[in-house]
Amino acid sequence: MSFFTKKISRRTIMQALIALPALSLFRKLPDTDPDAIVEVNGWILKRSDLT
Amino acid sequence: MIFDSYEAFRAVNFTAKVCILGSGPAGTTIARKLGAAGIPVVVLEAGSREFSDDSQDFYRGVTVGDPYFDLDITRLRFMGGSSNHWAGWCRVLDSQDFEAKAWAPDTGWPLGCADIEPYLPEVQDILELPDFRPDVPISDDIRWVQLIKSPAVRFGEKFADELDRSRNVAVVLSTYATELTGDGKRVIAAKLWSNGQDAGFFTADYFIVCTGGLENSRLLLWSNQRSNGGVVPKATALGRYWMEHPTFEGGNAILADYSAFEVDATNEAFFSPTPAAMERLEIMNFGIRLIQTPYPGIKSLIADLACTAPEMAEWVSYQLSQNLRCAAQLYVAWEQAPLASNQIRLSKTDVDPAGVPRIELHWKKSELERRTLLEGLRLFGTTLVRKDLGRVRIADWLANGGDYPTNEELAGHHHMGGTRMGTDVTKSVVDANSKVHGMDNLYVGGSSVFCTSGECNPTTTIVALACRLGDHLSKVIGA
Ligand SMILES: Cc1cc2nc3c(=O)[nH]c(=O)nc-3n(C[C@H](O)[C@H](O)[C@H](O)COP(=O)(O)OP(=O)(O)OC[C@H]3O[C@@H](n4cnc5c(N)ncnc54)[C@H](O)[C@@H]3O)c2cc1C
Repeated sequence: MSFFTKKISRRTIMQALIALPALSLFRKLPDTDPDAIVEVNGWILKRSDLT
Repeated sequence: MIFDSYEAFRAVNFTAKVCILGSGPAGTTIARKLGAAGIPVVVLEAGSREFSDDSQDFYRGVTVGDPYFDLDITRLRFMGGSSNHWAGWCRVLDSQDFEAKAWAPDTGWPLGCADIEPYLPEVQDILELPDFRPDVPISDDIRWVQLIKSPAVRFGEKFADELDRSRNVAVVLSTYATELTGDGKRVIAAKLWSNGQDAGFFTADYFIVCTGGLENSRLLLWSNQRSNGGVVPKATALGRYWMEHPTFEGGNAILADYSAFEVDATNEAFFSPTPAAMERLEIMNFGIRLIQTPYPGIKSLIADLACTAPEMAEWVSYQLSQNLRCAAQLYVAWEQAPLASNQIRLSKTDVDPAGVPRIELHWKKSELERRTLLEGLRLFGTTLVRKDLGRVRIADWLANGGDYPTNEELAGHHHMGGTRMGTDVTKSVVDANSKVHGMDNLYVGGSSVFCTSGECNPTTTIVALACRLGDHLSKVIGA
C-alpha cells in the first residue's frame, strides 16, 4: 500500500474526485452577459439571441 | 515585330540586348518598358498565337500532397500566357503583407509597398483599372476591402499590334527555351527547341525568366542541374516556399444591414483582417468573399437558426418583413505560411517532348492555415454580431474539425514562390531587384519572386513588379 493511500482513505479520495466537476463548474460561473459571443451549432451569436 | 517561328526571326538581322523568356503579363510588361526605353529586346515564347493541345502538353506534371488542379489546366502556354483565361480580379498586396510576421517564420520582403506604389498608375493603365480605394474598417478586426473585377486584359491580344509595330521588341513565337547555360557568374545562352527539334543557342547580354509561377522554378532547376550550379549558384531555396491561395466555402451568413459595406455589381463584397487582429490571433492574412445568394436560400438558414437561437430567428423574421437583405455564402481564401517543404521538384521519371523533366509539385496546407480559416470566420462573425449587421454560421466540416472538402474551388490558380526575393541566400533566390543571387545578368519576373502571398490575386502585384524591374533594367543597361 502506498504512502498516499495509507494516509487518506479510499472513500475520501472518491469523494474528492466526485466533487471535482462541481467545483470546476463553480469556478466557471455561466456567463450571463447578454452581449457575450457564443458559438452554438456553428452559429456565431450573441448570448441574448438564445433566450 | 512578331515572328511566328524562330526560323522567321533568324532571317532578319536583329541583335537583342535583353532576352525575355515568356510573353505573359510579366514578360510582356517588361518588354514594353525596355522597348520604350530604346533597348532592343527579344521575347521568346514557347507557344504560338493560339491555344493548342500539343503546346499545353508540355505543362503536364504531378502533385504530391494535398489535392490540386492538373498542372496543364492551371495555366496556359501560348502568347499572353495565363492572362488568356484569368478572371481579371485585381488588388495589390497590402502594405502589411511586405512586413515580417513574428509568429510566422520566413515572412517579410526585402522591399515595401512604397517601392511599388509609384508604378500603380501604370498598372491601372495596363490592366484598365479604376482608382484604387482605401480599405474601410468595419470593426477593430475586419476591413471591407476593394477587389476590382477588371475587364481581364488578355496581354497577347491587347498588345499584339503595339508589339508588332515595335522596332525594339521582337516577339518570337513557338520557341521554347529548354535551358539556360551559365558559368556561375553570367548566363551565356538560352538553348532553344523549335519546330519539334533543337534549334541551337540564343545569346544576349541579359536574360529575364518570365515563364510563370511554376515554370520559372522548373527551368532554373533544370538549367542548374545541367550546368552544375552555373545558373543559380546559391540554390538552397530554388523551387521552395511555393504558395497558393487555398479557397473553400467556410460558412454562410444572414445579413440584415449593409450600411457598413456595399456589394459589387455581381453581389459580392470582400473582407480581410486588420493587422492588429492578425497579430493578436497570430494568424495569416485572409480574404472573405461574401456572395449574396438568391432570396430562397435564406429559408433553410432561418430554419436552422430557429432551432439554435429562437430570439435571433425572431429578429431575423422581423428584419425579413422590414429590410432583411439576404443570405450569403462565405468563401475564404488565405495566405499560406511559406514553407520550404512546399516545393517544385524535377520528375525523375517523366520528361516532356523536348527531354526536360516535368514538374513534381509537393504541396500541403499547414495547421496555421487551418487556424487562420477558422479564426478568420470567427472574427468576421463576431464583427457582424457586434455591429448587428447579421449572423454567421461556420460550415460543419470546419467547425467539427473535418477534412477539407474535395469538391470545391481548392485554390486560386495563383502560383507563387519558388524563386523568392530576399537577402538571406539560403532562403531566397533573387534580390530586391529580382536579380538571381550571385549572377550578373539573370533576372526573374512574375509571382515566383513573391516572399509571401498575401490574400489577394497576384497579377496586379506581378505587373507592378514588372514595371519596376523594367525601369531598373533600363537604368542599369542605359548607364
Ligand atoms: C483560371 C485562372 C484564373 C485566374 N484569375 C486571376 C485573377 O482573377 N486575378 C489574378 O490576379 N490572377 C489570376 N490568375 C493568375 C494569372 O493568370 C497569373 O498570375 C498571370 O498570368 C501570371 O503571369 P506571368 O507572366 O508571370 O506568367 P504566365 O501568364 O504563366 O505566362 C508565362 C508565359 O511563358 C511561356 N513559357 C513558359 N515556359 C516557357 C519557356 N521555357 N520558354 C519560353 N516561353 C515559355 C508561356 O507559354 C506563357 O506565355 C488566374 C489564373 C488562372 C489559371
